[in-house]
Amino acid sequence: MASLEINSLVKKFSETTAINDISIRILDGEMVGIIGKSGAGKSTLMRLINRLIEPTSGSIAYNGIEITSLKGKNLKQWRSKCAMIFQQFNLIDRLDVLTNVLSGTLGINFKLLKLLKIYSKKEKIEALTYLNNLDLSDKALQRVGTLSGGQQQRVAIARAMMQNPSILLADEPISSLDPKNSKVVMDDIKKINKQDGIMVICNLHSLEIAKEYCDRLIGLSDGKIVFDGHPSSLTKELAEQLYDLENE
Amino acid sequence: MSEKDIISLCPKAFYPLWKRSPIVFTGYILVIFYFLFCLYYFDFSLGKILSGLSNMKPILVAMFTWNDFFNWNFNSIFTGLAQTLGMAFLGTFLATLVCIPISFVASRQIFKFGLIRFLIKRFLDFIRGVDILIWAIIYVRAFGLGPFAGLLSIFTVDVGTLGKLFSEATDNADARQIEGMQSTGASKISVIRYGLIPQIFPIFISQSLYFFESNTRSAVILGVVGAGGIGLQLTERMKAQYWDQTLFIIILILIMVAIIDTASRIIRKNIIDE
Repeated sequence: MASLEINSLVKKFSETTAINDISIRILDGEMVGIIGKSGAGKSTLMRLINRLIEPTSGSIAYNGIEITSLKGKNLKQWRSKCAMIFQQFNLIDRLDVLTNVLSGTLGINFKLLKLLKIYSKKEKIEALTYLNNLDLSDKALQRVGTLSGGQQQRVAIARAMMQNPSILLADEPISSLDPKNSKVVMDDIKKINKQDGIMVICNLHSLEIAKEYCDRLIGLSDGKIVFDGHPSSLTKELAEQLYDLENE
Repeated sequence: MSEKDIISLCPKAFYPLWKRSPIVFTGYILVIFYFLFCLYYFDFSLGKILSGLSNMKPILVAMFTWNDFFNWNFNSIFTGLAQTLGMAFLGTFLATLVCIPISFVASRQIFKFGLIRFLIKRFLDFIRGVDILIWAIIYVRAFGLGPFAGLLSIFTVDVGTLGKLFSEATDNADARQIEGMQSTGASKISVIRYGLIPQIFPIFISQSLYFFESNTRSAVILGVVGAGGIGLQLTERMKAQYWDQTLFIIILILIMVAIIDTASRIIRKNIIDE
């Protein structure tokens, strides 16, 4: 079975060590929640997996292929394979919803015409299908900037799905959403995990949501793993320690 | 769901461009036609450009043949350069000083009298609408040949442009910070000093620095119409076909602009990071 294997991963910024010797193995089809307070290294880990930033040392491998040494075309291929969604959505505000979703194909299937925003009928149908699954087909031609946060995050999910990914990285996907939209977005992510069997790695700072949606939790503190297991085995003491509650 | 059902969710997305937004499409077509028409009208052809370029060859050769370098009139060249720098500096500096109060009056956040604001804004538009060269020619008539006319034209145009940019920056200032100061019971002058100036000061400085740099370049052109500075030295030499000295002056100007550009980048960075 395909898996993502991280071994002794270290990421240092000029003075701080954001990721301090982390090793994890995540199997295809798992839904993993990364928890911990802000500054624990959750976002850094996600960016390292997508190779938006370079590790200081250590290895990341998917299916036995080393990711950290990929270059050029192979690197872009890897990025398209591990789709990412962000806390602030990172969509192109001034373009319409459909074009934003279609832009997910740029990594896997680039054509010059796409620079003129011209896409094939097949791709448009695919994009519209994802939008329809996420209840957004009526917004297809609206500018992304005019949508609510919850709707924008679902557009981001549709763009990610357009990449035909093996892994979905979600970096604090609900931190800028209200409770109702948080539930809709988390349900959609869960559905992608269960129906399409896509590995999901999700940074969450809310422990309740993480416990509710994830099959496995990984707790980070100061760049180190302090917990790895089923949500039910996370003790109250450990959770408090993870969020540094005694200090607040 | 079948393909048809999906398409029916948003049929417009599958229209060709001319059907989806005919106005945009017509716009594209018009621009393309106008572009082609202009090419035709100005007889724009590669052959024409190439033959023109070949005429430039003797000039280029003359530029790179530096004879009796040590007899050149360096005194007038460096005086001209210094004049140009001074014109640009003083013109921009004075304009900045004048524009600070103007921008407060022209800004919605500070000044409540709509009519006066409107008149000031239109006046600034007018000043800006007249090109710097036209001001220079007028001032040369009034004040005589020399850098003073150049300095005044830089000042005039900068009041128009900086006045507008400053008042826009003031308009876009964060109203919450001003409200926060008002809520403490502070007087109007204190509200401006603490709620507004810390927000707009870095913007003002960085815009003035940009203008200083670009005015140094405009000041060169001003010399061409007699408003002093290095431009005057440059035109004289071009008229007399001293191409070697022309190139020398161009190089000096480039170096001066590069130094100002670097210096202002460093200053801007320090002010904004502060």
